Amino acid sequence: MGGFYWISSYPKSGNTWMQLLLASLMAGGMALDFSKTIGFAGVVAAVSDMDLFMNVESSDLTPAEQADLRHDLALVVASETAEPQFRKVHDWWGHTPAGRTLFPPEVTLGSVYLVRDPRDVAVSWAHHSGLELDDSIAFLGRPGAVIGTAGRWRDQFEQRLGSWSGHVASWLAADPPPLLVQYERLSADTAGVLSQVAAHCGIDASDGAVAGAVEATGFDRLQQEEKTHGFYLGQRRNRKFFRRGIVGSWRDTLSAAQADRVVQDHGLMMARLGYI
Amino acid sequence: MLCGLRVRSDLPLPGLLPWSGDDRLVDLSIRLGEVPGRLRDGPADYSLVQVAEDGRCRFAFPTVAAYLVSADGRDIVIAPANKVDDTAIRTFLFGTVLAIVFQRRGLLPLHASCVRVGDKAVAFAGDSGIGKSTLAAILWTRGYQPLADDVTVVDTNAHGGPAVLPSFPRLKLWRDSLEHLGHRIEGLEMVRPSLDKYQLPVEERFCPAPLPLAGLVHLEMNRKAPPGLNRLSAMQGLARLNMVLYRPRLMLRLGTQTQQMGQFLRLLGVVGGLQALRRPETPGEWGEVEALLPVLAG
Repeated sequence: MGGFYWISSYPKSGNTWMQLLLASLMAGGMALDFSKTIGFAGVVAAVSDMDLFMNVESSDLTPAEQADLRHDLALVVASETAEPQFRKVHDWWGHTPAGRTLFPPEVTLGSVYLVRDPRDVAVSWAHHSGLELDDSIAFLGRPGAVIGTAGRWRDQFEQRLGSWSGHVASWLAADPPPLLVQYERLSADTAGVLSQVAAHCGIDASDGAVAGAVEATGFDRLQQEEKTHGFYLGQRRNRKFFRRGIVGSWRDTLSAAQADRVVQDHGLMMARLGYI
Repeated sequence: MLCGLRVRSDLPLPGLLPWSGDDRLVDLSIRLGEVPGRLRDGPADYSLVQVAEDGRCRFAFPTVAAYLVSADGRDIVIAPANKVDDTAIRTFLFGTVLAIVFQRRGLLPLHASCVRVGDKAVAFAGDSGIGKSTLAAILWTRGYQPLADDVTVVDTNAHGGPAVLPSFPRLKLWRDSLEHLGHRIEGLEMVRPSLDKYQLPVEERFCPAPLPLAGLVHLEMNRKAPPGLNRLSAMQGLARLNMVLYRPRLMLRLGTQTQQMGQFLRLLGVVGGLQALRRPETPGEWGEVEALLPVLAG
């Protein structure tokens, strides 16, 4: 009987970076081969998992039916795998339409929740999704926000995000509670935070392996690898995935009115996390 | 007729071709009737699929129907849910339920669409959403006859080597794919009333005769794969079994995995190995796939 470590975040909050850090760490801190797709910690909402483990053509199911089966899927995968499973998550922590947990506590070994200043998220999401900044800010404030609705190839299920504040609140109240990782802290002390994450996820990591993983996934390195090999994770065509990665870059991108709108929408949660 | 089987069905199956073979008895009987509740205590007990000690297999999707397949794969009993549309019952029948039938009957179902190239068949396998049906539809519009969509059934013991048994002349497509092909959705049967997915009839250019399988392609999601065909070794091919066979985990539930692994390995030998190919996404790339067909059927 295995179980899951959920590596979760609102989009554009450092989840892929953490995925790459952990992939390198699990390999002893080795450099990653970006000429191949990084297979570690696949997306929890991947359609192929459900087809395989639930024996059903999930593309013949409605989004609500798919969502409901994700509870069963987690239980089946946990029962049929021996090793801990890592999954990348963007859904909020919530329930299926039939009221069952999307991330069943009984098969959860642990969760890591990454969070980032929503003003930076808004800028990054606009670039990634091709929205105007104002629309991106509105998206972060939308309680019913969903991604993966009409993917061109339909390889992921719909993922309910809720608003940015709602997303954070749902994961902070998750059962069991996650390890909270702020992007800003990850950026300032990558090695220290990665060691914490490793310990939380039961990964035995030497200092050397941690240093190797940090080295392998430095932002300049990732940008260089993207330039050489490409890195596609759902961004609009011809846009970079690893764009800037800078903490506080919203200051030179958002107007004062736009930045204030984010604070109006999310002030309570931002204050709770020390962003204002 | 369905994959070489003579079918008798209480449920109307308008997509199937009429039987044109010999005078044999019915191979597969589909009845409407009572299906027991969840089969517990058997070798496999999962939320959608269960297998009983005596080999009967039950698949149920609560809002649609419960299906019971006999141990020899010759009988299916269907208990529809209340007020459910026939199209939805057929959708699950033609998916997991028939996969159970084929696996029980020693046939190898691939998760693939399949077209005729000369006097051979070429199959395109891959995960859901990869574009198998879209590719089959595009090749159909360019004059290639389909043999199967989504599930390609192979008789690995056929005379003259593994042969694809034609399924039925329908392609299952989302509205956007249909519109891309210049088809209107008006008048098409829906896959399920709640989905924007339709059955495109392809009777006018369908291959109703079994053909030897000459090429097996695995369409990859991987955008980093090199362009063109990439022939995989037997071990690499075997490692992709989960992405090429249809409902591979059913084999475990039914206990047929040893037989089907053997069939799959033999098939890889006959077709000269699994060929990986980056999924085509643009008209130019669809043209490149078309240009590869003679190589694949060669």
